[in-house]
Amino acid sequence: MDYNFGILSVKVQVTGTKITNVSIGAINDGGNFRSVSIDQQAIPLLEQEAMQAQSANIQSISGASYTSAGFIQSLQSALTQLGL
Amino acid sequence: MDQVTNRVKTLYHEEHVMGTVVTFDVYPGEFSDEDLLRESIESAVTILHDADDVFSTWKSESPLSRLRRGEIELDQAPLVVREVLDLCEVARSLSNGWFDPWSIPGGVDPTGLVKGWAAQRALEELHRHAIDGAIVNAAGDVASFGGPNGSSKFRVGIVNPAKPQTLACIVQSPGAVATSGEYERGQHLYDPFARTLATRSASATVVGPKLGLADALATALVIGGRDVLGAIVELQGYEGLIIEPDGSMRMTPAFPLVR
Repeated sequence: MDYNFGILSVKVQVTGTKITNVSIGAINDGGNFRSVSIDQQAIPLLEQEAMQAQSANIQSISGASYTSAGFIQSLQSALTQLGL
Repeated sequence: MDQVTNRVKTLYHEEHVMGTVVTFDVYPGEFSDEDLLRESIESAVTILHDADDVFSTWKSESPLSRLRRGEIELDQAPLVVREVLDLCEVARSLSNGWFDPWSIPGGVDPTGLVKGWAAQRALEELHRHAIDGAIVNAAGDVASFGGPNGSSKFRVGIVNPAKPQTLACIVQSPGAVATSGEYERGQHLYDPFARTLATRSASATVVGPKLGLADALATALVIGGRDVLGAIVELQGYEGLIIEPDGSMRMTPAFPLVR
């Protein structure tokens, strides 16, 4: 069984009704799959000056999940009220 | 803000569901049938409520609650329960076990993925139409297609966990932007290896094509921190960002930061 998550393809083996194996489909990188350590890949950044949503050209906001009550105070709610 | 602002016409809807608020922003572009778009928003909203009715652990008679109590078996539950649990199994494997709905005391709890999965399905109702773009924002997990006009993609701000009234950065969305953290609701995330409520980072964001998987990976990433960043590097199309308690940020090399 194949799952499609965009360009990532995942192969899933099912035995009876249970998933018994999950593997990433072949990575098409010109045949060269490189495994690199996270220290080479991750780029630590110094804390940037916090940005104000009003001055940024954005259409939505992603943050930790809030409850209905929390929505009113959320940046996403403010963005809507600002009519951006 | 820029004085010459391109204010495009949008349709907006706010729905209280799944214990939170889900917002819709539809950018019709040249598409003129607003009534049809409103109908699609209604269909999308129904999808969210249906998911809530099946998966809510707050509803004692939801199929998931009954499954957790052992009152029904998986094959007696609606088919979507299996679909979601299979997706959880895949996410568990891809996250090297850091996303593990079976490890949480109280029974299997796919909550860390259901919101994104449902939002993605809801978005598909809008995708039927030849519009410039649409966004479904489910409590900070954002599914989208297209952009604010015919030529650009949506820009999504990421909340600064240390100062939640401001942004830490902005990303260009490839379709899904999911963020996980405890600064809104307090401790609720479970470390499956330490077997306790704990997170290593202040917040984590995963972007990629599909919000269900991005949601699960963001949950895994905030719990596991740098170890999980290494797992996400391996997943084509998915990129991750962690924001540490001291404000420093680490990300996978192709994370689509625009500012």
